[in-house]
Amino acid sequence: MSLEEFKNRNVGEQNYRLVDVGQTPQTGMEKFEQVVKRAVKLELFTGLKVTFREMFKALFGGQMHTTKYPFEKLPIAPRYRAIHEMKRLLESGHYRCIGCGLCEKICIANCIRMDTRYDENQRKEVSEYTINFGRCIFCGYCAEVCPELAIVHGGRYETASEQRASYSTFEDMLTPLDQLAQQSEFPGFGAVSDDADKKIKKTPLAY
Amino acid sequence: MNEVKKKEITLTIDGKKIKSEWGKTILEVARENGIYIPTMCYLSKVEPIASCRMCVVEVEGVDGMILSCQEKAVDGANITTSNDALFRERQKIMELYDVNHPLECGVCDKSGECDLQNKTLEYGVDAQEFAAKDQHRPMQNWGFVSYDPSLCIMCERCVRVCNEIVGDEALQISVGGYKSTIINVKQDEDCAECGECMAVCPVGALVSTDFKYTSNAWELDKIPASCVHCSSHCQLYYDVKHTSIDSPEPKIYRVTNDFEFSSLCGAGRFGYDFENRTATKESNKLKEAVEAFKRADTIRFSSMITNEEALLLQKIAKSVDARLVCDDAIGYQKFMKAYSSVSGKSLYGATLDTLKKSQMVVILGTRVYDDAPMVKYAITSAVKREKAQVVYLHPIEDNRIQNLVTQFIKYEVGSEEGVVSLLADTLIKKDGLDKSIKSLLDSLDIGYLSAESNVSEEELEQLKAKMWKRKRFTLVVGEDLYNHPEVENIARFIALIEKYSDFDLIAIPPASNTLGVSLICELDESASGYIVGYNAPGDYTLSALGDGDIDMPSLNQQEGTFVSIDKRVVPTHPALPYSGYELLDIAKELGESSEYIIEFTPSLPTKKGFKSINFDDLPDYFDVTGKSHRGYELDMVECESGSLPSEPQEIDSYDGTIVYRCNSGRAFNPFTSKCEQLKENEVTLRGSAQFAIAAKLSDGDSVKFTIDGIDYQRVFSIDTSLKGTIALNPIFDIGLSSFALSSYRFTKVKIEKTGQ
Repeated sequence: MSLEEFKNRNVGEQNYRLVDVGQTPQTGMEKFEQVVKRAVKLELFTGLKVTFREMFKALFGGQMHTTKYPFEKLPIAPRYRAIHEMKRLLESGHYRCIGCGLCEKICIANCIRMDTRYDENQRKEVSEYTINFGRCIFCGYCAEVCPELAIVHGGRYETASEQRASYSTFEDMLTPLDQLAQQSEFPGFGAVSDDADKKIKKTPLAY
Repeated sequence: MNEVKKKEITLTIDGKKIKSEWGKTILEVARENGIYIPTMCYLSKVEPIASCRMCVVEVEGVDGMILSCQEKAVDGANITTSNDALFRERQKIMELYDVNHPLECGVCDKSGECDLQNKTLEYGVDAQEFAAKDQHRPMQNWGFVSYDPSLCIMCERCVRVCNEIVGDEALQISVGGYKSTIINVKQDEDCAECGECMAVCPVGALVSTDFKYTSNAWELDKIPASCVHCSSHCQLYYDVKHTSIDSPEPKIYRVTNDFEFSSLCGAGRFGYDFENRTATKESNKLKEAVEAFKRADTIRFSSMITNEEALLLQKIAKSVDARLVCDDAIGYQKFMKAYSSVSGKSLYGATLDTLKKSQMVVILGTRVYDDAPMVKYAITSAVKREKAQVVYLHPIEDNRIQNLVTQFIKYEVGSEEGVVSLLADTLIKKDGLDKSIKSLLDSLDIGYLSAESNVSEEELEQLKAKMWKRKRFTLVVGEDLYNHPEVENIARFIALIEKYSDFDLIAIPPASNTLGVSLICELDESASGYIVGYNAPGDYTLSALGDGDIDMPSLNQQEGTFVSIDKRVVPTHPALPYSGYELLDIAKELGESSEYIIEFTPSLPTKKGFKSINFDDLPDYFDVTGKSHRGYELDMVECESGSLPSEPQEIDSYDGTIVYRCNSGRAFNPFTSKCEQLKENEVTLRGSAQFAIAAKLSDGDSVKFTIDGIDYQRVFSIDTSLKGTIALNPIFDIGLSSFALSSYRFTKVKIEKTGQ
């Protein structure tokens, strides 16, 4: 299902029409007459006919409406906030995170921690990074505050696990190097605004 | 030394009428009255630098803007500190500062406590309107400190502290317009590596190489404490955070301080990780310790101890009827007792603050650069600001303080008593002097004394000539005297000098809390029988280094107070948790009823000048004018006076190879040598080329010798900055034994060569 289809998934073209339900019986006699009429006219089978028709359509006509979770999954909204993703730089493949510690600071569940160090290339290196998903409330602040668009939310919402470590590690969150070409930006919290280009102030060049 | 009463002035700042006194700058007056004037380069502890021009103000009747940091406030002035024109001026300054400043706040160590960041936001600079061609500015590593020139804003603070406070003169400005940078001219030699430059840096240009990129400023908890390594007990904060993701144990990441007003040396700044981590609580060990104390004939301890524990030890010693011995404090205690018996005062007169303001300083009996960095800092301030004359009397010349010392007088090893008597004869004003003292001074055999001590009368005349037209004199004495066999007589002469001349005295306590210990404890001279050693060698040892029979907390894991060289009782707080037993636990087993060690703070002996103030009521801060409110000052107590020095004894001659007990630079004691950044792989015996010839040694030889029963194995190295036949022997690597030395610092030794 494409995004467009997904958005319109509940809007049909079924030609709705009003059903004439007639008058509501007022007196005791009228009510008695309605009951007798319905019982004798066997309207019950009309309903059962519809049910059986739909059942045959589903079972033999290939028109099943049930989603067989967990074998089948519905697509989720692109701005859905589930397990985080760590993005990479497209040019170098290096992870974008610079270790500024803002996500660690802003996290209201206090579930992000990072260790940084001075590496051999005279740069700040993130030597270890963890998110305690048992505590994370998926508020999106970390994605919003990240100056490098490095930490964003992803669509992996199944977080039940027996061990905290198997929720997700830094390496799991990173875009796999072989899928770098398919890496896309997160349109939700933290994304640049549509008019971002217009807001940029230019620096004069002296040379 | 009466301060002349200063003329009162009245002025108006931002419509507020303010009374102040003549001599203060506009900025100082404003700050004292809580009026905000922004600054970038201003640093309270040095003279105004005036490089940033952020502090401009308008004065009524004066054209243009005036720099408030260097302009004196005058009577009747009407000053405006903020209006639209001033805001625009300051905004433009900030715009210029931000030109080409790397946008790397995300990784910069200073982020969160950066002056440039704060002021840029304050003045709403969000675009760069000017441009300049960026320069190639490679990173530099100066050892303990890293310098990133591209972040540098050339405020010159680092250069000023290096010259004016530290006196190292290592940092200079390489002038070149936009290309200007800071250069370290002593990078490869003997820069003190004190880290003062990086403490005052308002941006992230100068940062600790070790700390770099390990933590953000806002992640660290600041624990206020006092430095434990020497008697200056400087104010500092231990910056603490969990060790790593895997370990929630707190760890000290760095040391910071209130750099506007106070300073630190290299040991204080980089020697912080000496905590005892291995301690555990095992009840049988506690029982053993209690048994040991019950059995003890002598309790020996080091003066790296808080006042409270010293008092507790005194109590324990009394209850188990043991002698109390503290080898690094006994000499000092003798000195101070003899001093009091002449001067009639319990404490010496000067402090580091008065030393900073003196115009003449005489240093005797201490290698001040290594023994007491803060005293050296204070002398530097005196030289740079008061143009002080500094006379340095010592058997070994010290090249590193050549820029401070105006006269060096070399005396013979062992002749300290003769030297002080000569000094007394030179400095004491003879008119109107008490008859007995006059006759004592007259009876001195000047010819013999100066011949034996090798201090000529001309040198003393020269010294006296320097006093001419000067005010405020300070005499600084140190450890060589306290351990001299004739310490009492020396002390009496010195007391006489302080009493009957213009000189004020500072007697540098030789180890951390020696002054406190010497006031609180009644010490015995020598240890005997079964010895329990608390951070000192003994038959049963309690050690904060973790190598004794039972572990003790080190001083960054303890609460308590110290007595500083400024005669102040200063509080310290534990930065790290401690999981073992402490001295009080043992004392509790012996019948002590106090719950916490700080309950002893108010019961420190008031007879010695302590005040009965609870630990939690001790203040610990500097006010806006830089006045210290750390703890309280000891009261000066009147003592019985009236004793007089006797004539100096005959002077022993020290010939041959002499070794001087002297730790160097950032190494003070076994605790500093435990610290990661201060560790030294090879401990060397340093001597001059002349010494090498006399001792038949060459550079790189392994040598062996014995002093006071301790065997030293050292590598000999020739230090070209030294002269004469005295070598320097550090003792920071010999563990607790270094706390049990009370002999004279110079020793004649036989040095045995064991290899190349």
